[in-house]
Amino acid sequence: MGMEQVVLLPAIPAAIFVVLALFSPLLPRRGDWLAVVGMAVVVVLALAVAFHFQDFFGHGEFDPSGENARAFEWLNLSNGLFQIDLSTYVDAITVVMLLVVSIVALMVMIYSVGYMRGEARYGWYFGALSFFTASMLLLVTAGNLMVLYFAWEAVGLASFLLIGFYWERRSAAEAAKKAFITTRIGDVGLLIGIILLWREAGTFDIQQIIEFAEGGGFDQRYLTVAMLFLFMGAVGKSAQFPLHVWLPDAMEGPTPVSALIHAATMVVAGVYLVARMLPVFDVVLVARDVVLYTGLITAFMAATMGLVASDIKRVLAYSTVSQLGFMFVALGLGSPTAAMFHLFTHAFFKALLFLGSGSVIHATHQQEIEQLGGLWRKQPLTTWTFVIGSLALAGVIPLAGFWSKDEILHAANHNLPVFVTLAVTAGLTAIYTTRLVLLTFFGEPRNHHAYEHAHESPPIMTLPLLVLAALAAVAGFVIYEGVGQALGFAGGIGQLIFAHEPEVFHFDRDLATFALAVSLGGIGIGLVYWWGTAERATRARGWAPELHALLVNRYYFDDLYQSLINYVVLGAGSVIAVFDKRVVNETGVDGGAQTVGWFGLRLKFLQTGRIPNYALAMAGGIVTLSLVAFYTS
Amino acid sequence: MIPLENFLVLSAILFALGFYGVLARRSAILILIAVELMLAAVSINMVAFAAYLDPTRFTGIIFAIFVITVAAAEVGLALGIVLRLFRERASANVDEANSLKW
Amino acid sequence: MLRRLPLPAQIDRTITLGGLLASVVAAPYIVVLGVLFATGELSAPEFVFWLNAGLVVGGALAAVLLRHIVHAALGLVGASLGVAGIFLLLASEFLALVQVLVYGGGVTILLLFGLMMTRATDGPIVTDGAQKPFAFGAGIVLAGLFVGAMLDAEWDALNVTVVGFRELGIRLYRDFGIPFEVASLVLLVALIGAITIARREPAPGEDDSK
Repeated sequence: MGMEQVVLLPAIPAAIFVVLALFSPLLPRRGDWLAVVGMAVVVVLALAVAFHFQDFFGHGEFDPSGENARAFEWLNLSNGLFQIDLSTYVDAITVVMLLVVSIVALMVMIYSVGYMRGEARYGWYFGALSFFTASMLLLVTAGNLMVLYFAWEAVGLASFLLIGFYWERRSAAEAAKKAFITTRIGDVGLLIGIILLWREAGTFDIQQIIEFAEGGGFDQRYLTVAMLFLFMGAVGKSAQFPLHVWLPDAMEGPTPVSALIHAATMVVAGVYLVARMLPVFDVVLVARDVVLYTGLITAFMAATMGLVASDIKRVLAYSTVSQLGFMFVALGLGSPTAAMFHLFTHAFFKALLFLGSGSVIHATHQQEIEQLGGLWRKQPLTTWTFVIGSLALAGVIPLAGFWSKDEILHAANHNLPVFVTLAVTAGLTAIYTTRLVLLTFFGEPRNHHAYEHAHESPPIMTLPLLVLAALAAVAGFVIYEGVGQALGFAGGIGQLIFAHEPEVFHFDRDLATFALAVSLGGIGIGLVYWWGTAERATRARGWAPELHALLVNRYYFDDLYQSLINYVVLGAGSVIAVFDKRVVNETGVDGGAQTVGWFGLRLKFLQTGRIPNYALAMAGGIVTLSLVAFYTS
Repeated sequence: MIPLENFLVLSAILFALGFYGVLARRSAILILIAVELMLAAVSINMVAFAAYLDPTRFTGIIFAIFVITVAAAEVGLALGIVLRLFRERASANVDEANSLKW
Repeated sequence: MLRRLPLPAQIDRTITLGGLLASVVAAPYIVVLGVLFATGELSAPEFVFWLNAGLVVGGALAAVLLRHIVHAALGLVGASLGVAGIFLLLASEFLALVQVLVYGGGVTILLLFGLMMTRATDGPIVTDGAQKPFAFGAGIVLAGLFVGAMLDAEWDALNVTVVGFRELGIRLYRDFGIPFEVASLVLLVALIGAITIARREPAPGEDDSK
C-alpha cells in the first residue's frame, strides 16, 4: 500500500455503503460488523500510507514526486479547455486528515454498535456512516478542486442524512434542513471560487493552481475575490461566523454522528480546505486576514455562548465552533502547522467528549445539564475519560490540547490584539468546560429519576472512550521529534504535522506558563462558581440579565436570520410571485396560448375542405420549390 | 435528326397543360383526364431520355411501361371512388365534397 | 337504364362535329407542314414529329379546355394517339402499341363509363372551378421552368437507337421480373379495391347474395 493507491481508502467504505444500503436487512446483525471491519482495514491502510509518506522526506524536506499523485482523465471538453482529472494528492495535510478521519471513524463505529443497539434503521445508520467516511476520505485525498467539490457536497449530504436520522422528530428534520441550507450558502461561494480560479488558471488541479498563483499569474484583486468566495465554503462547512447557526442545531442527530461529523471530521473540512489552499492565501494577504478575523470572532463568540448553553451536546457544539475558530486564526496567521496540529488533537478529545456525552445520554435519557449531576458515582469510566477530554480541551499540561493551543498562541505571539483575544477565549474555554463537567458529573443529582436510572455503558461503548482518552492524553507529544523517532519514523513524527517545511518545535517556557495559567485560572473560576449546587452561578445571572439573555439567545442570530427570511426572502418571494402570476403566467404562458388560439380561430377557415384548394396549395408549393431549386443551382 | 430538346419541350407543355387541368377543373372525371395527360408527359420524357441517352439499358422505357400500368390501375380505382362519391352526394364535383373541414 | 342514356347518338354527333372542327383547325397546320416537307425544309422524321406534336398539344388543349366532358375525353384520346406516335418516333414500337391499347382503348372507355354512371342532373357540362386564373398562372410558370431548365442544360444527345421487342422482353422479364409481378399485384389490388369501393352496400336486412 503506497501513497499512489490512496484512492482505495474511500473506495472501501463506499463499497460497504452500497452493500449496506441495498442488503443490510439480509445480513446478520444488519451488517454493522461489515462497516466496523471495513473501517479497521481503512485505519491499517491509512497507517501504511502514513509510513510510506515518510519516504518522501529527503534531507528533512518534503519532496512530492510524480509517484505521489495519481490521476486519470475523467472529463475533457474542447481538448483541455475544461479538463477534470480524477486525481489524488498526498502530502502532510492529507496524512493528518487520513489518520484523524479513519481513527475517529473506527472509534465512532465501534461505539455506535452499543449506542444504536435496537434502533430502527440500524443497518442504514452504518451505511450512511460508511458513506460519510468514504466521502470524507475522498475529500482529503482529492488532488483536484472539482473532485474536492464533489466530495464536499457528498459529506454535506451525509451530514444531512445523519442529522435527520430521527426524521420522525420534527426538530430533527428541521435541523437537517437548516444544516443543509446554511452550508449550501457557503458551498455556492466555494463553487464560484473554484470557477473563478479555473477561469484564470485554466486547470482544476490544486498544485497547478498554487504554482500559478505563486508565479503571480493572478491579478491581485481578482485572486482576493476568488479566495474570499472559496473561504465562504469553508465558513459554511466549518460553521464559522456568520454561518455558525447550523452546528448547534445539528446536535439533533445521534450522538456518535455528532462526534464523527460535527466535531472531528466534516466540520474541519473548511480548515482542511484553507490549509490546502494556504499558499494561495499567502499571495493575497487581505483574504488571509479575513480568515484570521472570522476565526477570531467565531472563537470568542462561540465560547461565550457555550458558557450559558444548557444542553450538554450544545455546549460541546459551541466548543467545537470555538475551536474551529482557533484553527482558522492559526491559518490566518499563516501557520498551517499549528492549525493542523490543533485539528489533530481536537479531533481526538472532542470526539471523546461527544462520545462521553453520548454515554451519559444513553444512560439517563437526559441532555439538559441542569437535570444531571453526581453521575461520577454511577458512571466512573465515562466520568474520568470525560474529565481527561475536558482537561485536554481546557489546555492543561500535558494533555493534547495544551500543546496545540500553545502552538496557536505561539503563532499569534506578534499580534497583540489577536493574542489577547485568544487568551481570553482560552480562559472562557476552561470556564465552560469546567461548568459542563461539574454540572454533569459532580455535585448533587438534580433529577433523581434520571440519576436512579443511570448505569455505566457497556464495554463496547467504553472501549472507544478509553482509546480516545489515551489518544487525547498523548497525541500532543508527537510534537517532540524524539517521540516520533522512538516510534520509528525517520524524521520524527512531528514532521507529519508540519505542512510547509519541517519546523523543529521549541518549547517556549514563558508562553506555556502563561497559557497554563490562563487555563488553570479558567478552571478555578469554573470551580468557584459551579462547585456543589452552583448557587453562585445562579446568582451571577442576576448581575446582567440582558447579557445573559443575549448569550442564551445566541446573539439573536437565529432570530435575525429568521426575520431576514420572513421579511426579505418571503417579501421578495411575494413580489416575484406576483410577477410570476401576472407577467409570466397570465401574459407569457396564457397569453401565448391565447394568441395561438386567437389566430387558430381565424386561420381555421383556411381549411375549406375543398380538394381543389388543397391541390392549388400543393401546386404553389411545388412551383415555389422548383423556382428556388432552379435559381439556386 | 430531331433534337432531344423537341421531345422535352413537348413533354413540358403537355405536363403544364395537365397541371392546369388538375387545378382548374371541378369534375372528378375531368381531373382524372388531366392526370392522365401529366402521366403521358412523364412517359414521353422518360422514353426520350432512354432512347437518346441510355440506349443499352433503356430503363426509361421499362419505367414507362410501369407508369402506364399504374395509371390504368389508378384510373380504375379512382373511378370506383368517384362512383361511390356520386352515389353518396349525387354529384361528382370535387369541390362539393367539402365536409372534411373546420 | 341504358335506355335513359342517349349516348351513341351523342357520340355520333360529337365525332362528326368535333372531326369537322378539328379538321378546320388542323388543316392549315397540316398544309403548312406538308409544304415545308415538300420543299425539303423538313425531313421525314421531323414532319412526323410535328404532326404528332400538333396532335398531342391539340388533344391536350381540348381535354383541359372544353367544357363538355365527352369532348374532353375525346381530346384525351387524340392526345394519347399523338403520344403513341411520339413513342414510335422514339423507336419503341411496343410502348406505342401499349399506349394505344391502354389509353386509347381502356382508359378512355373506363372514363366514359364513369361519366355515364355519374351523370349529374345538370348534364355533361361542368363549369370550371373558381381558381382557374391561379391554375393558369401556375401552369405557365411550371412550363416556363421546365423549358428553361431543359434549354439551360447541355444534353449529350446521341441518335435514337431502336429497341426491339426481343431486347425489351428480355430486359423486362429478366431484370425487372419481380417489379413486373408486383405490378400485376397492384393491378389485382386496384381491381378488388375498385369493386369493394364502388359496389352498392346492401341495406340492413337485405341479403347480400341477391
